[in-house]
Amino acid sequence: MDSVLIANGLNISFEIVTLALVAMGLAVTLGLLGVLNLAHGEFVMIGAYCAFFVQEQGLSYLWAFPLVVIVCIVIGWPVERSIIRALYSRPFDTILATWGLSLLLREIVEFFFGPGFNSVDQPVSGTVNIFGADYPLYQLLVMLIAVLLIGSLVAWYVKSSTGRRIQALVDNPNLAKSVGIPTIALARNTFIFGLCLAGIAGVLLAPIVAVHPGMGIDHVLKSFFVLVVGGLGNVVGLVVGSGVIGGAESIVAAILDRTAGYTFVLIVALLFLWKKPGGLVSR
Amino acid sequence: MTVPARFAFEGITGGYGAMMVVRGLSAEVGEGRCLCVLGRNGVGKSTLMNVLSGHLGAAEGSIRLNGRNLAPLSPDARRRQGMSYAMQERPVFDHLSVFDNLMLMRGSAGIGLYRPYFDRFPILENRLDQKAGTLSGGERKILSFTRALAEEGDITLLDEPSEGVQSENISHMENIITEAKSRGCSFVVVEQHLHLAEAIADHYLIIDQGKCVLQCAAADTDRQDLLAHLEV
Repeated sequence: MDSVLIANGLNISFEIVTLALVAMGLAVTLGLLGVLNLAHGEFVMIGAYCAFFVQEQGLSYLWAFPLVVIVCIVIGWPVERSIIRALYSRPFDTILATWGLSLLLREIVEFFFGPGFNSVDQPVSGTVNIFGADYPLYQLLVMLIAVLLIGSLVAWYVKSSTGRRIQALVDNPNLAKSVGIPTIALARNTFIFGLCLAGIAGVLLAPIVAVHPGMGIDHVLKSFFVLVVGGLGNVVGLVVGSGVIGGAESIVAAILDRTAGYTFVLIVALLFLWKKPGGLVSR
Repeated sequence: MTVPARFAFEGITGGYGAMMVVRGLSAEVGEGRCLCVLGRNGVGKSTLMNVLSGHLGAAEGSIRLNGRNLAPLSPDARRRQGMSYAMQERPVFDHLSVFDNLMLMRGSAGIGLYRPYFDRFPILENRLDQKAGTLSGGERKILSFTRALAEEGDITLLDEPSEGVQSENISHMENIITEAKSRGCSFVVVEQHLHLAEAIADHYLIIDQGKCVLQCAAADTDRQDLLAHLEV
């Protein structure tokens, strides 16, 4: 087989898988709780800064994972309590409030780390030869971890008792309360869990992207496009949406340039919002 | 001084926004007793149930279970205090299987605890793997009834449990409620089906336009009285 073709295929797969990874947290907060968290990208950014921070301290990259979970809980708890909880049934207000939150988080990170671009060293180096194409080992690992993470999240959602209670909460909130599900705590934990997923995605992506305070915008937009195209129904929608958005962008970008790729994705998302607002895989 | 009733509500006034749907409703339910709330459509029966279950805040009035004030508690906290509730509209989790509807809050317990219910309602056992949303309206009511009764709450609120249910299964509901009463479970039941109401009620609360028009012991009341007050 043609090694250029394989390299391109791997690059497109990587785009799609990482997109699904980043969109997963938004799928949780938007798909399950109906909260369109415009600060989602900022939590990806915070995750990336966690990776940057631990390397600055001379610690192993792996410390970034527990760190980002702690940071997301410390930020997410008061944010849910003070902002999100009052707005669960007010989508437009939620967008404004989380947009404000995203500005605040960006400013805070900029205050501590400065506005510049930073880079994070890849925790594993080297390349693997796949059918004649040399491909970075770290990128391969990220793909593997992302697939495992998405798979185990779905299994947990379907199989675990907490997952079923979240399904019950989404299905019929009033009945969920009356059968004794502590819905306020469950919604809070689900929201924080969605933030942690965004943060973990940020840690994983940090070594392959430029880490800077404004990096979140790109991620929240593309994640939103994924959910617009795929629908909020289930994980199939997440994968299909990532496939369409990630695939279309990388193919158009490869043929023309990145701006054209971005424009094309924007047009696709707008067409979906206009013609098929439920997405490809509706609930 | 008398022993406080198992469940009591007093001066319940509530509604939506500035519009009060129910005004000044009071009743007591003793251990193993059943209060039936009757009235025509749209007089506030479901509003009363929404206030008692905690889905709608009471503008005024108190709700007590075993002497404890439930009024400030959320519906899930009321469940933990021993209240069970089978609602009239959307009574089950449509997207969950019948099995998950029954076992959602049961932890590691086995489905066997529903044996007495499955004997009466084999339809549930036969459809455990089916999504509850695929059941008929009456079957959903049976599922909701079974889930609520099996919780063995100190007080169980049933809002129109027999709506759309076949008469054979209404008889089963009647027997199950009677048995639960003999074990000390108390009930507040909103019911249109007068035959079922007469079979289970110890007390009646008849409301019209949100106010109490008759409150009486079942023993002192015959169907003529009830009908007379229901057709005012």
